[in-house]
Amino acid sequence: MDIQEIKQLIKLVEKSDIGELEIVEEGRKIRISKTSRMDSKFAKSSNLMNPVYVQQQAPPQAGAPPVLAGTPEQTPSNSENEKNANLIEVRSPMVGTFYRAPAPDADTYVEVGSKVTPGSTLCIIEAMKLMNEIESEISGKIAKILVENTQPVEYDQVLFLIEKDG
Amino acid sequence: MFKKILIANRGEIALRIIRACKELGVKTVAVYSTPDENASHTIFADESVCIGPPEGLKSYLNTTRVISAAEITGADAIHPGYGFLAENADFAEMCESIKLTFIGPKAEVIRKMGDKAVAKETMREAGVPGVPGSDGVLSSIDEAKRISKKIGYPVILKAVAGGGGKGMRIVHKEDDIEGSFMMASAEAETGFGNPDLYLEKYIENPRHIEFQILADQFGNVIQLGERECSIQRRHQKLIEEAPSPVVDEKLRKKMGIIAVNGAKFVNYESAGTIEFLLDPRGNFYFMEMNTRIQVEHPVTEMVYGVDLIKEQIRIAAGQKLKIRQEEMFPRGHSIECRINAEDPEKNFMPAPGEITNLHLPGGPGVRVDTHIYNAYKVPPYYDSLIAKLIVSARNRKDCISRLNRALDEFVVEGIKTTIPFHKFVINTPEFTSGNFDTHFIENIYEHAKNEMSVK
Repeated sequence: MDIQEIKQLIKLVEKSDIGELEIVEEGRKIRISKTSRMDSKFAKSSNLMNPVYVQQQAPPQAGAPPVLAGTPEQTPSNSENEKNANLIEVRSPMVGTFYRAPAPDADTYVEVGSKVTPGSTLCIIEAMKLMNEIESEISGKIAKILVENTQPVEYDQVLFLIEKDG
Repeated sequence: MFKKILIANRGEIALRIIRACKELGVKTVAVYSTPDENASHTIFADESVCIGPPEGLKSYLNTTRVISAAEITGADAIHPGYGFLAENADFAEMCESIKLTFIGPKAEVIRKMGDKAVAKETMREAGVPGVPGSDGVLSSIDEAKRISKKIGYPVILKAVAGGGGKGMRIVHKEDDIEGSFMMASAEAETGFGNPDLYLEKYIENPRHIEFQILADQFGNVIQLGERECSIQRRHQKLIEEAPSPVVDEKLRKKMGIIAVNGAKFVNYESAGTIEFLLDPRGNFYFMEMNTRIQVEHPVTEMVYGVDLIKEQIRIAAGQKLKIRQEEMFPRGHSIECRINAEDPEKNFMPAPGEITNLHLPGGPGVRVDTHIYNAYKVPPYYDSLIAKLIVSARNRKDCISRLNRALDEFVVEGIKTTIPFHKFVINTPEFTSGNFDTHFIENIYEHAKNEMSVK
């Protein structure tokens, strides 16, 4: 597949309802992914045009027959800036109340710009009078905090964006 | 009255509860797992909270997540619907301890009635007769012989640790009991690691007849008649109706009084159902008590003119039952078909997927309780019930005719459903005459398969 063909495919995906298109052919795999326009959870993030990014990778088996897979609906927004595939979302594993600090008068666990490593406590989510520390799984820097102190959060709600190291 | 009720369920029943809340002026909170993000109950509730991934244990069955959702939304009551946490005594107890009203009976009642052996014994004390049989585990073949002689053949030997039809033997006469005992015991040993058996009278041609109970917190208990639920396959009900074609006014009164006695004896509160097995001679035996609202509650609603969910909520809010027993008698007839996303020609294999075209039946006497909509994707993670078609008319004959008409109008494309199977069943001579028992569906399935594929 040459660059011209890839350009055509990108145009096709952009214009259509296809959210994600993956093509495996002759030892190469190309995935074209379109992020969704709106996600109410990202009301604060910038109003972007549909970003489209192309990822090329070698599939595990060479010479596999061509496979076309497309999903008809939009995949949820994965990051606010397509140039930064390094931005990792931290999603809530539970339902409860979000706290930035261990106590009302204590220092917050993290701020924007704070460096974190695997195991660093990011916040507390309280459920049924029990405090649960939410820890980072990666090394990086806090890029954005999407929830306010004492805000109720639900399962899978994005709490932080961490810019991954390296 | 409550300010805000959290519905700890999904699908059609969640929507049903939301409807009752709206009519009572109560705010609603829906909880949902990630695949249910666009489910009807999340759309129509006033608020919704995502509580977990698809797995039940991490979402709808998760007491912590459900209660947390109630906490952060400020709900003052939880309605558990049916299934999931509805008969979880621990969950009811947790709610009680944090002053969150669980819409249902008290935890200890749920616990008691949840244990089949305890329930049976308790009901016996209440004067609600169960199936006669051994008092627990059989100690010997001689004991089996003795009890069988007393209660009369046929009897059934059942494995104490068993289920799924294994370790069971029906014995028709005394000559056979020794051999059957040894075989059942051996089967139980290999199947469940426990050779112990117990014994019950075998009810031939049984019908499953259940009574609807409503009880308030002031000791008032009423019964809203029976439902005929013998049309079942593998213990799953398919078609239910009220009243039963074989229960006359006299039998209804007799069974009704006993059902109420049973509920009163355990200080029951809220809606509940007492299940009986009825034999062809008019003898009935207690099977179990369901301490929740049931799937098939609509047929009772149609024929008794009562909104059972609203009554449940009123009772839980501490209101006295305004309905009097004397007012309760069945008017007309109602039949419900449970429409499942299953392929009836392939042994009812689940058939999740996207509904590409939907037309729901309507017109006089037609009610559809459903959460599905056009372009809805039926998820593979939960039970296959997608809609309940409830039809009512002045009498059973008109009801069946109306049901035929409504099934013909019920269009679901994109997935397989059990609609063709229902169409087949309601036109059999057994169904139209009302002459069937709990074995009926198993007996006709092979024949039904051929008939359906021909169409």
